Amino acid sequence: MKSIDNVKKFFKNAAISTNPSMDETVLDKVLIAHEKTTNTKSAVIEPNIRRTIMKNPIIKLAAAAVIISLVVLGLFEFIGTENTSGVVWADVVKKVEASRGSVVRCREKNSFQPSDETDYSITYTSPRHSRKDFYKGGQITQTYYDDFSGVETVTITGVYHIHKHYLSDTYKKSSNEFFLEKHEDWMNPRYLVQRVLAGEHRNLGQKTIDGVLCEGIETTDPAALGPLPGPINRLEVEFRLWVDVQTKYPVLFESKMSGEAEGKSMESEWVLDEFQWDVELDPSFLEPNIPPDYVDIRTL
Amino acid sequence: MVEDRLLIWKFKLGNRNALRRIYEKYKNDLLKLAIALTNDVNTAEDVVQDAFVGFAQSAARIKTSGNLKKYLATCVANRIRNRKRDRQRHEASGIDDSDCVISDSKRPEQWAILSEEMELLSDAMAQIPYEQREVVGLYMQGGMTFRQIAKVQNASINTIQGRYRYGLNKLRSILNSEV
Repeated sequence: MKSIDNVKKFFKNAAISTNPSMDETVLDKVLIAHEKTTNTKSAVIEPNIRRTIMKNPIIKLAAAAVIISLVVLGLFEFIGTENTSGVVWADVVKKVEASRGSVVRCREKNSFQPSDETDYSITYTSPRHSRKDFYKGGQITQTYYDDFSGVETVTITGVYHIHKHYLSDTYKKSSNEFFLEKHEDWMNPRYLVQRVLAGEHRNLGQKTIDGVLCEGIETTDPAALGPLPGPINRLEVEFRLWVDVQTKYPVLFESKMSGEAEGKSMESEWVLDEFQWDVELDPSFLEPNIPPDYVDIRTL
Repeated sequence: MVEDRLLIWKFKLGNRNALRRIYEKYKNDLLKLAIALTNDVNTAEDVVQDAFVGFAQSAARIKTSGNLKKYLATCVANRIRNRKRDRQRHEASGIDDSDCVISDSKRPEQWAILSEEMELLSDAMAQIPYEQREVVGLYMQGGMTFRQIAKVQNASINTIQGRYRYGLNKLRSILNSEV
C-alpha cells in the first residue's frame, strides 16, 4: 500500500454487511419510535418514486423495466425477417422508429411497492420528451415529465397533485443516480436489437386481440436486458410482443421478470396496451405544467 | 439527489415505507463510519441504532433541501463524540463507568458483519488521533466536504485539511506494516 490513493481505495473497499434478522429487530425499534412521535396519518397516495429507490440492483432493474419494455418494442429488428406468415419484423421496427409520438397504457404489479397506489399509467413519448400520468380512481395523482433534449443532462419533474407539491431536478446522463439514464443505449432500439439477437426467441404465431389479427414473438433470455445494474441471481424474464398484422404496429406487450439481489427477491409484471402510434403530440403538453399554488418540495 | 428528497418528503408526511427505505439505504454506510470511528462493533451498533431512532423522531425538523447521507453521518459522529465526552467525564470523576458504555438496548446477536479488510481498517483507524480519524471518516465515508467537517469540529478548513493529510499518512504507514 504505497500511495495515499491505495489507502483511499482500501477504505472504500472495506466491506460491511448486516445480519438480516438483526436488521429487522433494529428497524422495528426505529419504526416504533417513528410511530410514537408522528401519530401516523394514512398515506394518501404518496408519490411512487419510480425508477430508483434503493441501491439494490434488482429494484433498480424492475423500476427501469417498464421503460425498457417500451424500448424493447423495437428490438426485434433482425428476428425472423424471413417470416412468411404475415409480419416482417424489420418493418415493425422501421414503423416504430418512424413514429413521431406514441401513447401507451401501462399496468404494472410488483412485489416491492404497494399495489394500491396506482391503477394504471399513461405514457406519452416523443423523441426527446416524455410525460407519464399515474391514475387512481380515474384521477391523475401524479405526473412525471422527462426532458432528454440536453446533450449531457436529463431533467425530471414530478408533480404530485394530491399534496400539491412538485420537484424538478437536472442530472448528468453520466451520473450513477439513474440506471436507465446512465445507460443511454437502453433508449436506443438498435442497441437492444443486438441484445435480443444474442438470446433465444420464438415465434408465437397468430391470434386475435380485441378483434385485431396479431402475430407474436417471445423471448425468455435475460440477455435481452443487456448490462444489468449489479449482480442479480435467478434472473428470469419473459417478454411477449404482439403486432397488428395489417398495420405492423405493436398492440400488446407483456412482460414478466423475477430475480434476487442482496438477499431480496423481486417479481414484477407489466402489460402495455391501448397503443397509439405516429401521434403528433403538442410540445406544450410534454412541458412541465405546475399550477401556481403547488409548492416546491425542497422548500418544505 | 431527487431520490433522497422524495424519501425525506414522504417520511415527513408520515410514510413508514420511506423510513424503511432510508434505513436500508444508509445502514451499512453508517455502521462502517461508526466502526471506523470507534473500533468497537457493539458501540458502533448502538450509536447507529440511536441515530436512526433519533432521526425517526425528528420528521418535523428535517428539511427536504438537506443532504440525507451527510445529515445522518453527522448524527453518528456527534453521538460518538458525546459518548466519548461522557466517558471522559466519568473517568475524570473517578466513577467506574463500565456500565455506562453498554447500551440499554441490548441485542441478542451481532448486527454488523465485518470483512477482513474492514477489521484491518478499523484497527488501523484506532491508532490515529480521534480528530484525524473523524475527519478521515467523515470525508471518506460520510461524503462530507472539508468545509462541512470544519463546522462539525469547530475548526478552520486549513486545520481540517491538515488533519486529513496527517490522518491518511498515518493510516498508510499503519496499513503498510500490516497488509
